[in-house]
Amino acid sequence: MSLLDRKLFRDLKALKSQAIAVALVMACGLAMMIMTRSLILSLATTRDSYYERFRFAEVFARLKRAPNSVREELAAIPGVARVQISIAIQVTLDVPGLMEPAVGLINSLPERGEPVLNRLHVRAGRLPAGRTAVGELAVGEAFAAAHQLKPGATLSAVLNGTKQPFRVTGVVLSPEFVFEAPPGAALPDNKTYGVFWMPYKELATAFQLYGAFNSVAITLDPGASEGAVIAAINRILAPYGGRGAYGRVDHPSHRRVDDEIRVLQGLSVAFPLVFLGVAAFMTNSVMSRQIALQREQIAMLKACGFGNRQIGLHYFKFSLAIVVGGVALGAVGGVILGYRLVEMYHLFFRFPQLDFILDGRVLLTAASVSALAAFTGVAGAVHRAVRLPPAEAMRPEAPARYQPALVERLGISRWFSPSFRMALRNIQRRPVRSGLTCLALALATAILIVPNSFRDGITYVIDFQWDIVQRQTVTLSLVEPGPARAIADFRHMPGVVWAEPFRFVPIELKAGPITRRLLLQGLPERGTLSRVIDAYPQQFTLPPRGIIMSAKLASVLQLSTGDSVNARVLEGREREITIPIVGLAEDFAGIACYMEIHALNRLLLEGDCISGAHVVVDKARWPQFLAGVKETPRIAGCIIKDSLREGFRKTTAESIGLLQKIYMLFATIVAFGIIYNSARISLSERARELATLRVLGFSRGEVGAVLVGELVVLTLVALPAGLIIGSAFAKGILTAVNTETVRLPLVLTAENYAFAVLVVASASAVSAVFAARKLADIDLVSALKALD
Amino acid sequence: MPSDSHGSPSSVRSTRGKDEPVFHVRGLARIYGEDTAAVTALAGVDLDLFAGELIVLLGASGSGKSTLLNQLGGLDSPTHGTLLYRGENLADFDEKALTSFRRDAVGFVFQAYNLIPSLTARENVALITEICPAPMAPEDALALVGLSERMDHFPAQLSGGEQQRVAIARAIAKRPQVLLCDEPTGALDVRTGITVLEAIERINRDLGTLAVIITHNAILADMADRVFTLSDGRIVNIRENQLRAPVSSLAW
Ligand SMILES: Nc1ncnc2c1ncn2[C@@H]1O[C@H](COP(=O)(O)OP(=O)(O)O)[C@@H](O)[C@H]1O
Ligand SMILES: [Mg+2]
Repeated sequence: MSLLDRKLFRDLKALKSQAIAVALVMACGLAMMIMTRSLILSLATTRDSYYERFRFAEVFARLKRAPNSVREELAAIPGVARVQISIAIQVTLDVPGLMEPAVGLINSLPERGEPVLNRLHVRAGRLPAGRTAVGELAVGEAFAAAHQLKPGATLSAVLNGTKQPFRVTGVVLSPEFVFEAPPGAALPDNKTYGVFWMPYKELATAFQLYGAFNSVAITLDPGASEGAVIAAINRILAPYGGRGAYGRVDHPSHRRVDDEIRVLQGLSVAFPLVFLGVAAFMTNSVMSRQIALQREQIAMLKACGFGNRQIGLHYFKFSLAIVVGGVALGAVGGVILGYRLVEMYHLFFRFPQLDFILDGRVLLTAASVSALAAFTGVAGAVHRAVRLPPAEAMRPEAPARYQPALVERLGISRWFSPSFRMALRNIQRRPVRSGLTCLALALATAILIVPNSFRDGITYVIDFQWDIVQRQTVTLSLVEPGPARAIADFRHMPGVVWAEPFRFVPIELKAGPITRRLLLQGLPERGTLSRVIDAYPQQFTLPPRGIIMSAKLASVLQLSTGDSVNARVLEGREREITIPIVGLAEDFAGIACYMEIHALNRLLLEGDCISGAHVVVDKARWPQFLAGVKETPRIAGCIIKDSLREGFRKTTAESIGLLQKIYMLFATIVAFGIIYNSARISLSERARELATLRVLGFSRGEVGAVLVGELVVLTLVALPAGLIIGSAFAKGILTAVNTETVRLPLVLTAENYAFAVLVVASASAVSAVFAARKLADIDLVSALKALD
Repeated sequence: MPSDSHGSPSSVRSTRGKDEPVFHVRGLARIYGEDTAAVTALAGVDLDLFAGELIVLLGASGSGKSTLLNQLGGLDSPTHGTLLYRGENLADFDEKALTSFRRDAVGFVFQAYNLIPSLTARENVALITEICPAPMAPEDALALVGLSERMDHFPAQLSGGEQQRVAIARAIAKRPQVLLCDEPTGALDVRTGITVLEAIERINRDLGTLAVIITHNAILADMADRVFTLSDGRIVNIRENQLRAPVSSLAW
């Protein structure tokens, strides 16, 4: 080790707490970047290889019923590589231990061999045997996990009106159901909705579909046009009640994984960059101070024949040591947290295996970016130091020019103590430095706002979605849309206090090249249960014509109130219609569109029809109500609001919540780091001056007040600025993570602000106490000895 | 590059006028600042300094002694005038040449010692010997100034005189052509001052190094070959001693 390096090592040791503070801040930024980018890579890689290995289809279509021979027609479409036909039917389930009925989507397994597309991964047990045994089915992992169903478990399903017992032979995964959520629902509800597989023959026979299919999956030749293939499929399937083919973009499970990746992408850039910027600033201030302190040493080195390059390199190595520490810590932290988050994703993305993959390129990029940032931070200071002629540098720095602080000239200074006046003058003497410190403090405050705005946003969404929008206890859906008078039957069910009808129709909205498939919801004009809310947030009165859609949906379609949207009805008699948009609804989960129920029925050219009802149930008669539901075969599904809310809490809220906690931890570390560093630097800058004051007879308290006063003034200025910047950050990041699956509103609470202020204030207090203690340690004699 | 003029150290004191001077200075001026704020630190200095000489610069505080010394050492450049080192004009040296001039030819001793606080005495010396072409061992240099016992102490653990002797050891360890000492005894008591000066004298005698010592203590002048007195940036008096008095005999 060269002697300059030895000096470096010892200087670093003397500066360790500051070096650690800077390295920690840098580590936080890097950890966050590495964690999120690696998660993105893990999810994308896992998904892609899963899709590839298990042959996830590229185009999907549902239809009423077509003979198996139509398969050949589909296969003959130019550009189609493989075709898989099957049956998929929604049934009502009776699961032991579950009071309410559940809904199962049963898919058929081919009579011979494995499915060509959307192959299954058997997690436990085996697939149903088919030929030999009946009454067997395989269950999707999410539902199995929610009910602890293992091979050998039993449950009943209502197949075409008859309840039959089934035995679970295996737990399986399918690339089609990475995310298991009921069709049209943005949120999973693994307790009441599951996916199943059983042999084709058994399923088809039960529904009189033998020799026919109602579901198609297709892969394309490389280079084939998806649009053209979809059009061809639609033409072929139209006579068979085709519901419109769609590509992966519209595939609900695929879309959900995509959206999660998009959320992570939103988080992976902005926030870490702020942290890294702050770290660069801190490196710069630490190094500038260090170089200023070592002015005479630098002059001596130059006088003794060290070149500028050697001296510059020496200080670069200094910052390099900090960067290396930060990068190492950040990489380790990022990997550990990444593993932790991957585990969490297992809970709601069902991959055969989801491994954490370290994004090495990002690690490298992030490391070089922060090294570069630190170096540019240091370059200026080093340049100034080596440019100084050594004779000049040997002389102590010229005494700073002070003047009365601006505020003093306002004439209010007589209320200020001398210490406080000194503090004010210190701030004013170095406006750039004071400004930068202030900015750093403001950033420390700002980054504390963001994570909590996530938390508050989630709380708001939960309350909004399930207290303001949906006020029913349960949503009951009919097997088939039925006459409107059925609402009376719902109202007479045991325990039901009130019921309101709804009509759900699957449609495809089109605006130019953009299409979206979703449920058009028909609701009473001014219902009391499931309500449509505008941005203010007031309930809409649904007009006799026109559609109201989620604001997000409108922005995706690039439409707004007053425009018309083309819709294709995907049920019953297929029709193309044009509907005016009459309002934009405020909602946060999924995308939706609404119409007045009679208007919808008129549009469908159907009589008064309902798909089900939202009902309020007397909690005291809950068991009777559920028993009643199970005994009513016409009821296909029963969605309990509270379990949806729970589902949201457990998945989306939990994933965002964990990220929020990690970010909060980081933000707190960064805030403390910035403030502590600022205090240390101003202590070092003032050490001589303060020691002189002590020698002149000022008390330790009075001298401390100069230092603390400065920090307090800067903090007071920084706090409001920080709150404003933080609110802007929060808005920016929330917009970035805004997806069609979940959106978080910008909710800025007094608690959030108060917390940020509290953290910054206590970091300031702790740093001040620490600085004051250091002040007591200053050896008066040696502090003065350095004076000449 | 002054390396071509690297003369062999001679134990014989060269006489003025025979050899080429080490420093040839004419009309040297240094003005700090501009216009109304201008300070004339040197106002036209002429002198020739020869190898093996021991020179003392006398003068009141602010008379320009440090400025002159810094000019000789290539730490600062003149506003006007010529400054030749072994026939080469220092003003023509670029940053690289100046650096190697300082590294290879000049040893500095500063009034404020300027040791690196985080390095021990031995390491402070070794720091310089690491970058020189033909240095002595740091231990030998420290022995020359009588500090063999305290080699592994940090500056903070040494007295002022000891620190100054470390600084001298650091300066001589590179076997410099020129030893420039700016008030090396300024902060020291008599006895310590004498040990420090003895160290400088020994180097000058044994290695034939040109030594320039700044002091405002006129009594020290007796140890020199020649004494220059500065006032207001000019040389106002030159005194030549036929016989150098040994340092120990100086009535301080
Ligand atoms: N870097 C500088 N800037 C401005 N004035 C300077 C500078 N260095 C020296 N001076 C001035 O030049 C004059 C000579 O200084 P100096 O050579 O240090 O004197 P001495 O060493 O004889 O006490 C003084 O008036 C001093 O104030
Ligand atoms: Mg001087």
